[in-house]
Amino acid sequence: MSLLEWRDNFRIGIAEVDHEHQALIDLINALHASLCADRSAERIEAFLGEIFARISAHFALEEKDMQVRGYPELAAHKADHERLLDDLRDIMDGVNDRGVLDDGAFAQRLAAWFSDHFSSHDVRLHRFLTT
Amino acid sequence: MNSIKKALHAVFLRLEQLCNLAFGAALNPFVHLGALGWLLFWTVCVSGIYVYIFFDTGVTQAYASLEYLSREQWYLGGLMRSLHRYASDAMVVVVVLHLLREFALDRMRGNRWFPWVTGVPLLWFLYACGITGYWLVWDQLAQYVAIATSEWLDSIGIFGQPIARNFLDSAHLSGRFFTLMAYIHIAVPLMMLLFMWVHIQRHAHARVNPPRALGLATLATLVALALVVPAISQAPADLDRVPAEIGLDWFYLALYPLLDVVSGKTLWLSLVGASLLLTALPWLPPLRKPQPAQVHLDNCNGCARCFADCPFGAITMGARSDGAAFEQEALVDPAQCVSCGICVGACPTATPFRRASALVPGIELPAHTIADLRAQVVAATEQLQGDARVLVVTCAHAGDLGTLAESDVGVIAMPCVGMLPPSFIDFTLSRRHADGVLIAGCAAKDCFDRLGQRWTDERIANQRDPHLRDRVSRDRVAASWASPAQWRQTRESLGQFRRHLRALSSADRPVTVGPAWQALRWRLPAPLRIAGQLLMLGSLALLIGWFASRPSYAHLGREDALVKLSFSHAAQPLKPCRRFSPEELARLPFDQRRASNCERGRWPVYLEIDLDGRPVHRATHPPAGLWNDGPSTVYTRFRVSAGRHRFDVRLRDSGRATGFDYTGSATVSLVPGQNFVIDFRGTEGGFQFGQPLSSGSATRGTDR
Repeated sequence: MSLLEWRDNFRIGIAEVDHEHQALIDLINALHASLCADRSAERIEAFLGEIFARISAHFALEEKDMQVRGYPELAAHKADHERLLDDLRDIMDGVNDRGVLDDGAFAQRLAAWFSDHFSSHDVRLHRFLTT
Repeated sequence: MNSIKKALHAVFLRLEQLCNLAFGAALNPFVHLGALGWLLFWTVCVSGIYVYIFFDTGVTQAYASLEYLSREQWYLGGLMRSLHRYASDAMVVVVVLHLLREFALDRMRGNRWFPWVTGVPLLWFLYACGITGYWLVWDQLAQYVAIATSEWLDSIGIFGQPIARNFLDSAHLSGRFFTLMAYIHIAVPLMMLLFMWVHIQRHAHARVNPPRALGLATLATLVALALVVPAISQAPADLDRVPAEIGLDWFYLALYPLLDVVSGKTLWLSLVGASLLLTALPWLPPLRKPQPAQVHLDNCNGCARCFADCPFGAITMGARSDGAAFEQEALVDPAQCVSCGICVGACPTATPFRRASALVPGIELPAHTIADLRAQVVAATEQLQGDARVLVVTCAHAGDLGTLAESDVGVIAMPCVGMLPPSFIDFTLSRRHADGVLIAGCAAKDCFDRLGQRWTDERIANQRDPHLRDRVSRDRVAASWASPAQWRQTRESLGQFRRHLRALSSADRPVTVGPAWQALRWRLPAPLRIAGQLLMLGSLALLIGWFASRPSYAHLGREDALVKLSFSHAAQPLKPCRRFSPEELARLPFDQRRASNCERGRWPVYLEIDLDGRPVHRATHPPAGLWNDGPSTVYTRFRVSAGRHRFDVRLRDSGRATGFDYTGSATVSLVPGQNFVIDFRGTEGGFQFGQPLSSGSATRGTDR
C-alpha cells in the first residue's frame, strides 16, 4: 500500500505543477517502499539526495509560476517550502552523521508535510487561481 | 596583438591598484568607466540644452551670444558652457579608457563581440559631436576647424562643390553651412543615444549608473574645473586672416595637425582602416571557442532561474519540446553563450547531494560538468588536515591562486565563481570536507562575466534564489574580491579567515570576530584615502583643463600668409552645340523638340599658377558629373612669406593644344597672417584677385 495517494482535490490548476506533485508523490512512495526493503545508510542517503534535488527544482518552478501570476501570498507559501527543505537537510545530515535513520517514520513525516501543505497553502493558491 | 594586450593589462592592473587604495574597490573609477560615460553624456546634454537656449545659430551672431553667456551670465551660463566642454572632454577620456580596458581584459572576444562592434560607430559619433561643437563657437578655433574639416571632407571628392568654399574669405562666408552644423550637433547626440542603447542590448542588468558617490565626485571635479578655468572663446573668427596660433582641444582635434602633413584621403583611409581593424578584433586569432552551455531536458522543469541569471541574454525560455508536462524549457543560444557557467550555479538540480541518479543538472557546461565539480571538491579537500581547513573556490580570471594550496588549503577553479551552486557550500561544510569556504573571484564590481560576483553575493546573503540555506553558518563562508594584482590581499584574507575559523573551533574561547560573510578587505586610513582621491580627481581636472586648449598649434608660420585659389568653372563643350534644322525638328517627337542639340561632355580645365615666376601649380581638373559635362572645380592653397609677390595664373578650358583661354596676373603686398583669395569667374572678367592691395590686372587673352 502506498504512503500517499494522489487525490483530485490536490490539484491546484497549473498543469505542470500538478504533474510534478504527482511525480513527487510517486518518488516519496518509492522511497517508503525501498526503505521497507533496505535500510542501509547509503541507500537512504542516495534517496534523500534525490528527493532534495527534485523538491528544490519543483519549488523553484512553483515559485516562478506563483510569481508570474502575481500570487500575493507567495512569501508565506515560499516560507513553508523553505521549512521543508531545511527539515529535509536536517534529516540528511542526521543520516550522514549517525549512519542510520533515528526515526523510521521520516517518510511519514514527509508525507505529512505534503498533506498539510496541499490542504493549506496549495488550497489557497488554487482558490486564487480559480477566482 | 597578444603582447600589446598583456602589456596594457599590466598597466591597468597597476593603475587600478592605485585607485583601489584611494577609492576602495567598489568605487574604483576603472570598473565604472562605461557608466561614467553615460553620466557624462547626460551632463553634456543638460548643459548643452541650457547653452542652446541662449545660443544664436547665425554665423555672425553666434560669437556674441556665447560671449554674453561667458561674461554677463558667468555664474550659470558660463558655468554650463564650461561644463559642456569639460564633460565632453572627460567623455573622451573615459571612452578611450573603457575601450582600452575591455580590450586589455579580453572582454570582447568571440561571442562577446556585440557591445564592442556597436561601440565603434559611437566613437565616430562622439568625434562628430565634438568637432561640430567647436565649429559653432565661431572663434578662431572654429574658423580653423571649419576650414580644416571642410577641406578634409572635400578630399573625399563626393561633394560637387568644395564645402571649403563656404569659408573662403569673409566675402564668400555663407551662414547656411554653419546653421547645418548646429543641427548636426543636435542630431548626432541623438544617434549616440540610440547606439548606446543598442550597445548594451545583450547585457542583462546592464550597469548604466555609476555609484552615487563616484558620480557626484566626478561632477564636482568638473564643476570645480569649470569655475577655476572657465571655457571661453578665442578671438572672433575673421576669414580674411589666418590665425597663426590656435589653442586646440587635443581630446577632439589631436588628428587635425596631421592634415597639414598628410593628405586628407590618407587620413580618411587610415581612420576607416583603423575602425575596420577595431571591428574585426573580436574574431582575430587566437580565438578559442568554448563549448556553450547545454540543457538536459530530463532535469529541466522550466523554472527559469538560469534565464534570470544569464548575464549575456543567451538563455530564453521556449515552449516545451520533449512532450513532458511542463510549459517551458531553457534554450541556449550558442552564438551568445560565453560559457561562464553562471546558469549552472542557478540550477536547482545542480546539487551535489544527489546520489541515486547520475549528477546531471538541467543545464551545465560540457567542459566543466557538475559531476566533475563535485569530484574536484572531494579531491581538493581529501588530504587537508587541521582544524581550519579551507576550500578556496576561484575563477579563471582571478590570477593563479593554485599557489595558495597548503596542507590545510585546497583550491578549485571554474570559469566563474557564479557557476558554484550554493548547495555546494552546504555540501562542503556539512559533509565536513572543509571547515570553511573562501570564494576568491575577480576584483569587486568587476566580474569578468559581469554578474557572477553579484549573484554569488546575493545567493549567499539569501537575497536571490537559489540561496545558501540559512542553516549554513555564514561564519564559515567568506569572499575575497580582488584583481590578480591584489593576490597579496587574497592571501591576507585567507590568513584572516583561517584565524577566524580556528577561533570558532576552540571551544574555550568565545568568538569575538564578526561573521566572515562580507568581502574580506583592508583599507588605507581615511585621511590618506581622501588625499589620494583628491590627488586623482585633481589630476583628471588638470589633464582635462590643460589639453582642452593647450599646447597651442601653430597652423601657419608667424611671417607667412596663405594664398587660396578656388573656383568652379564649366569648360567649353567638347563639341559646339548645333541648331536643329526645321526638318529635323519636325522629325523629333513632340516632347523632345528643342532649339539645338548639344552633345554632353566638356574639356577639362588646365590651370597654371606661377609665384614670382616660379611654378607652384600645374594641374588638369576634370569636369564633374557622370557624363563629364559638369563644371571643373579647383581648390588649392599654399603658404607664402609675407611681402610683395607676383602671381601669374593661366587657364585653358578648351581643346586647344597650346596657349591659354584666360590669363591673369597681379602683384600684391601680403601681410603676415593674411588670407589672400584668387577667384575666377568665366563670364565676369576671368581671374579676380581678392582685396587688391597693389596693382592687379585680369585679362582675357585668346593667345599668348
